[in-house]
Amino acid sequence: MKFVRILLALGIASALLAADGNAQTSQRPYRIYAITFRGMTDVERGFQDYFTSHRIPVQITFRDLNRDASRMPGFLEEIKRTRPDLIYTWGTSVTLGVVGTYDGYDPAVNITDIPVVFTLVAAPVLAKIVPDLKSPRRNVTGVFHVAPTEAQIRAMQSYRPFKSIGILYTPTEQNSVVVVDEVREVSKRMGFSVIAKPLKLDASKKVTAEGAPEMIRDLKAQNVDWLYLPPDSYLGTQAKNVIIPAAMEARLPTFASTEQLMETGALTGLVSRYSQIGQFTAYKAEQILVNKVPASKIPVETLTRFSLQVRMDVAEALRLPPPLPMFNYAELLNAPKEPAAQ
Amino acid sequence: MGTIRFRFIMVALVVSFFAVGMAAFLNYFKYKSTINNIVKSRVLVVGRGIENTVQASLQLGMQFAELQQLPQMMAREKSADRLVRAIDVFDTSGQILYSTDSGRVGQKVPTVWTSAAQRSKSTEWSTDETDDLVAGISIKNAFDLTVGYLALRYSREEVERAATTAGREIMLAALASFVALAIVAPLALIVVIRRFERDLRTLEAAASHLEDRNQPPPAAGSAFDGAINHLRASLREANKALDDLRAKLDAAG
Amino acid sequence: MLEKNYLWRVYWRLAGVIMVSVVIALAVVSYFSHRVFDRELVPETEQKAATVGASVRALVLKATSWGVPFTQLYGADQTFGDVFEENPEFTYAAITDSDGTLLFSRGREPDGAREYFHAPSILAVGLDPTATWKATKVGNLYFIAMPIASDKPLGILHIGIDGKFVDNVLLEVLLDVVVVLVVSLFFTLELLNFMAGARLASGLGEFGQQVERMRSGDFTATARVRANDEIGRLLRRIDAAIDHLNVRYEFLVGELEDKLRSATGTRRDALKPAMTALESIRSRFRFGSAPASAEGDEMNLNRIRAPLFAFILAEEMTRSYLPSYVNQLLVAIPGVSPQVVIGLPIMIFMLIVALGQPYLGSWSERVGRRRAMLIGASIATVGFAATSLAFNLYDLLLWRSLGGLGYAMVFVAAQGYVLDRTGHTNRAQGFALFIGAIMVATVCGPSIGGILADNIGFRASFAVSAVMAMLSILAIARLPATEPRSPAARPSRAPRMREVMALLFNKRFMTLTGLAAMPAKVILTGVCFYLVPLYIVSIGNTSAMAGRMLMVYAVMMVMIVPLSATLSDNSMRRDRYVSIGLIISGLSGMLLLVSDSFLVLFGVVFLLGLGQALSIAAQSALVSEHCHEEIRIYGHDAVYGVYRLLERLGNAMGPLIASLLVIFWGYQGAFVAISAMVLVCGIAFTIATRGYEFEPVTATAP
Repeated sequence: MKFVRILLALGIASALLAADGNAQTSQRPYRIYAITFRGMTDVERGFQDYFTSHRIPVQITFRDLNRDASRMPGFLEEIKRTRPDLIYTWGTSVTLGVVGTYDGYDPAVNITDIPVVFTLVAAPVLAKIVPDLKSPRRNVTGVFHVAPTEAQIRAMQSYRPFKSIGILYTPTEQNSVVVVDEVREVSKRMGFSVIAKPLKLDASKKVTAEGAPEMIRDLKAQNVDWLYLPPDSYLGTQAKNVIIPAAMEARLPTFASTEQLMETGALTGLVSRYSQIGQFTAYKAEQILVNKVPASKIPVETLTRFSLQVRMDVAEALRLPPPLPMFNYAELLNAPKEPAAQ
Repeated sequence: MGTIRFRFIMVALVVSFFAVGMAAFLNYFKYKSTINNIVKSRVLVVGRGIENTVQASLQLGMQFAELQQLPQMMAREKSADRLVRAIDVFDTSGQILYSTDSGRVGQKVPTVWTSAAQRSKSTEWSTDETDDLVAGISIKNAFDLTVGYLALRYSREEVERAATTAGREIMLAALASFVALAIVAPLALIVVIRRFERDLRTLEAAASHLEDRNQPPPAAGSAFDGAINHLRASLREANKALDDLRAKLDAAG
Repeated sequence: MLEKNYLWRVYWRLAGVIMVSVVIALAVVSYFSHRVFDRELVPETEQKAATVGASVRALVLKATSWGVPFTQLYGADQTFGDVFEENPEFTYAAITDSDGTLLFSRGREPDGAREYFHAPSILAVGLDPTATWKATKVGNLYFIAMPIASDKPLGILHIGIDGKFVDNVLLEVLLDVVVVLVVSLFFTLELLNFMAGARLASGLGEFGQQVERMRSGDFTATARVRANDEIGRLLRRIDAAIDHLNVRYEFLVGELEDKLRSATGTRRDALKPAMTALESIRSRFRFGSAPASAEGDEMNLNRIRAPLFAFILAEEMTRSYLPSYVNQLLVAIPGVSPQVVIGLPIMIFMLIVALGQPYLGSWSERVGRRRAMLIGASIATVGFAATSLAFNLYDLLLWRSLGGLGYAMVFVAAQGYVLDRTGHTNRAQGFALFIGAIMVATVCGPSIGGILADNIGFRASFAVSAVMAMLSILAIARLPATEPRSPAARPSRAPRMREVMALLFNKRFMTLTGLAAMPAKVILTGVCFYLVPLYIVSIGNTSAMAGRMLMVYAVMMVMIVPLSATLSDNSMRRDRYVSIGLIISGLSGMLLLVSDSFLVLFGVVFLLGLGQALSIAAQSALVSEHCHEEIRIYGHDAVYGVYRLLERLGNAMGPLIASLLVIFWGYQGAFVAISAMVLVCGIAFTIATRGYEFEPVTATAP
C-alpha cells in the first residue's frame, strides 16, 4: 500500500512538472498595440508575416486613425489602460501623436514607459522624433523608408551617367528643402551640377504648380540630364498630371525618390517595398520583445537594399533602355504595348 | 672513403626525392584545386541565376516560404548544365523548402552545410565534406537578414576523373625525372667527392713523410698544401733549433 | 680556420651539384605539368565560359523580351566587365549580329577577330537554334561562340579566354617550387653535415688546431685517443712527430743538465752558448704535455646540430598557419574578444617556454642533457600529434602547452649540451653552430609549412610536424650518453624572486630590458607569429604566401646577424646598434601607411628582419656592459637569467598586444601601431643611453 502511494505521488509530481514545463514552453503571446493612419497597408502585412514566419506569438490590436487626428486621445487612453508590451505607429503624425518630440513631449499625455516602434516615417530626425538615428536616447525606435540621397543619386548614375540634374521642389516643405541641400552636398562630392527650381508661390504664399512646365523646359534648355523628383507631398499631387507629361515632352528622364512618385509615371526610382519595411519593423520589435534590448539602444535604420523600379514603356518612349546588368536586379514595370522594332 | 661516398650519394637521392616529390605534389594539388574552382564557379553561375529570381520575388513582397514558381525555375536551370545533380533551397534552420528532388522537401540538410554557410565571409560558400560536392549561396533580404540558403549538389566525378588522369601523368614525369636524377647526380657527385678523397689521400701521404727532412714536398694541388707546408716548416724549425742545441752541446765537449 | 671551412666548402660544392641536377629535374616536371594543364584545363575553362555565356545570353534575351531592340542594347560592356571581374581568365567578350557585324565588345580585340566573326562556321552557329557552343582558337585566345535567339536568330555571343591563363596558374606553382628549391638547398647542407659524421668535421678541426699550435711553437703532446680513419691516422702521425721532438728535447735537456752539473770552470763557459740556445728554444717553443684540455668535447659538439635542426623545424613549420587553425577551432569565450582568443595558444606556448627556461636548465643538468632532450622531444611529438587531432580550442590549448614544455626542454638541454662541451675560447663558435641550426630551421620551416597547410590541410600538416619531431628523437638518440663535466661549466640556477623584483625596479637594467629587449620580442612575435599569418589569410591569400613572408624575415636574420655581430664587436658603441635596429624595426610597420597592397608586407618583414638582426647580436652583450653594477651585486647568472626571462615574456606578450591592436584599429592599423610603439621605445632607449659611459667588455656568450 505504501508502495502504491509513493508511486502515485511520483506520478502526480511528474505530471505537475510536465504541465508546468509545458506552460513555460508555450510562451504567452506578446501584446502589440498598432495605430495606422489609413487602414491596413502592405507594411502591416509584412509586419505580421515576420512574426508568423519566425514563429513568435503575438497578439496585435489594430486601431486606425483613418486620417482623423481627433481619435488619437482615445487610443492613448486605451494604451494607458491596457498596457501593451509594445506600440506600433504608422507615419510621422501618428508617431508624434503618441510620443511627441524628443525635446517637447508631455509626460501626462505622451507615452514614455512603453516602447514604441515607428514605421514609414520619412525623416525621423527632422521630425524631431529622435535626436540621432544611431542612438534614439528615448524609448522609441523604428524604421524609415526613404533611401539615402546618395544611394538615389548612385542609382541614377547607374542607369545613365550624368553631368547635371534638375530639381523641382516645394520651397515651403521642410522635407524637400533638406533633400535639395543633401543633393547639392552629394553633387560637390561626386562632381556634377544641380539646378534646383522652387515652385512658385501664389499671393497667399501657398505653393502652386503654375509655370512648372516652363520650368521643366528651361531645365532641359540648360542641359540637365535628369529631372529628380524629391520626396515632396505637393509635388506628388502634381506629378501625374503636370510634371511627368511636361518632362516626357521635353524628353527628360525622371527619377522618383518615393514609391508614390514612382507610381505617377517616373522613368525610374529607388523605392522600398512596404512589406519589407513592415518586416524590418517587426525585426526591431523582436529585438525589444524577445531579446529584451531597450528601444533606446536600437538604432533607427532603413533597408540596406532598395528596389530599383523601371517603367519600360517610358524607357521605350524616351529611347533610354536600362543598361544590361540592370535587367538582373531591377523591377521592370509595364511592358511596351507593341513589340519593339528590331 | 667508400662509406663517405655512399653516404653523400644517399643525401643526393634523399634530397632529390624530396624536391622532385614536392614539386610533383605541388603541381598535382594546384591542378586539382584549379579544376575544383573552375567547376565550382560553373555551378555557382547557375546558382546565381536562381538566387536572382528568388531575390526578385522577395523584393516584390513574396514570402520566402511561398515562392511557387521556384521549383519550376530550378528544374529548368538544373537541366541547363549536366554537371548539377540537385538543387535545394532551405531555410535558416536547415529545413528544405524547395528541391529539384521532390522527395527531399521537408527534410533537414546535413549540418556541415549550415555551418559552412555561416562560416563563410561572403554570400557564397562551399563544402566538400559530404559525398557530393556542394556549392551554395546565402540569400539575404532587404535588411541583410539571411532568410535562407541555396545549395547546388554536383558530383565529385568530374573533378576526380580529371585529377587522376593528370595526377598519373605528373607522377610519371616525376618518376622519370627522379630516375634520371638518381643516375646523373651521383656521377656528378663522384667527381667532386673524388677531389675531396684525393685531398685526404695527399694529406695522409704527406703525413707519412712529415719528418723526412730531405724529401721535397710532394706534388701539390690539394687544398691542404698550405697546412702541410706549415707542418713541415714548424717541425723543421723545431728540429733546427734542437740541432743547433745539439751542435752547441757537442762543441762544448 | 682554413681546414674547418674546407669541409663546408666541400659541402657547398656537393650541394651545388645536387641543386643543379634538381633544377633540371624540376624543369622537366614543370614542362610535363604544363602540357597536362594545357590539355585538361582549357576544355574545362571553355565549358565554364559556355555556362557563363548562357547566363549572359539569358540576360540579353530578357532585355529583348522587354522591348529593347537587340541592336540598341545599352550597357552590354558593363555586363562583360562584370564577367571579367568574376572570371579573370576571360579577357574578351563580344556580341555580333547574324551577319557577323560587331555590335558590342569589351577587352582587347585579338588579331583575326573580324575574320573569325564572319567565318561561315561561326555564322552557322548563330543560325542553328540547337547549337550549344563552339570552341575556336583565335590569335592568343580560346574563343567560344554561342547563338542568341528568341523566336528567331538575333546574333552570336563570343567569349575569349586568355591563352596565357595556364601560364598564370603555373606561375603560382613556380613560386612554391622556388621555395622548395631554397629549402632543399638548406636541407642538403644539413643532411650532408649529418651524414658525413661528426668525426670528419672534428678530425679536420683538430688537424687545423694542431697546425696552428705548432706554428706558434707549441709542441706539447696531447693525450688523445685517435680514431682509426684517415684523419685519425693523420693525427696519429702528427702526434708521433711531436713525440719524437719531445723525446729529442728531453734528451738534450737532460744531457745539458748532466754536463752542467759535472762541468766546472772553462767547461762551464763552453756550455754557455748551449744554455743561451736552450733559453732561446724555451722562449720560442714549448715542449712537454699539454694541460688537461679545457677545450671540451668538440667532436660530439657537432652532433647537436642535426637533431636541433629537425626539432626546431617541426615547430617552425607551424608558424604560418597556426593562427588560422586556431580560428577554425574557435570557441567563443564570453568576455574575451575572438581576436585575443586566437592569440591564446601562441601566448601560452611562449609563456611556458619563458617560465620553464630558468628551471629546466638545472633539471637537464641533473637528468642528463640527452635524456632531457629525449623527454622533451617525445612530449613535443605527442603535442603535435594531439594538436592535429584537436577537437576545439580548449584541448588545443592543452596540446600547445605540452608543445611549449617539450620545446623548452629541448632548447634548454641543447644549450646546456653546447655549454658542457665548449670552453671559453670556442664557446662563441659553439653557439654559432647552435644558433645557425635554429636560423636555418626558421628559414625552411614556415614556407614549407604554409605550402603543406594549403595543400593537405592544417591537421595533416601538424601530423608532419609530429613526424619531424619523431625524426629528431632518432637523431637525439645518437648523441653520446656520457656527459663531460667541463671544468669551465658553472652550475646554473634559476633567478630568485627577490632578484627578479630588484632588477625589475632597477633603472639601468630596465632601460635595456624594457625599452629594447622586450619591445624587440613583442614586435617579432606580434608581427610574425600573429599578424602576418592572420592578415594574409583575411585578405583571401594563402598560408603559403604567409610562409614566404616569414621566410624573408628568416633569410634577413641569417644574412645580417653574422655581419652585425662582427661589426658591433669592432665598434665600441653597441647600444647604437640596438638603437638603430629598434628604430628600423619600428619603421617596418609604417610601410602600411604608404600602400594598401599586401606586397608591402614583404617590405615590412624585410625591415623587421634587418632591424632585429642589427640589434639582437649587440643586445645580450650589452647586458654585461650596461649593467656592470648589477652583475657585481647579483651575479652574472641572476642578471642574465632575469634578462632572458623578461625577454621571453615579451615573446608571450607580443600576440596579446597585437590582438588588442587589431580589435581597435584592424589589421593594418595594428601593424602601424605596434611599429609605432617600438619606434617610441627605440627613441626613448636612444635618449636614455645617450650619456652613458660604457665599460667595453669582450663579448662572452650568455
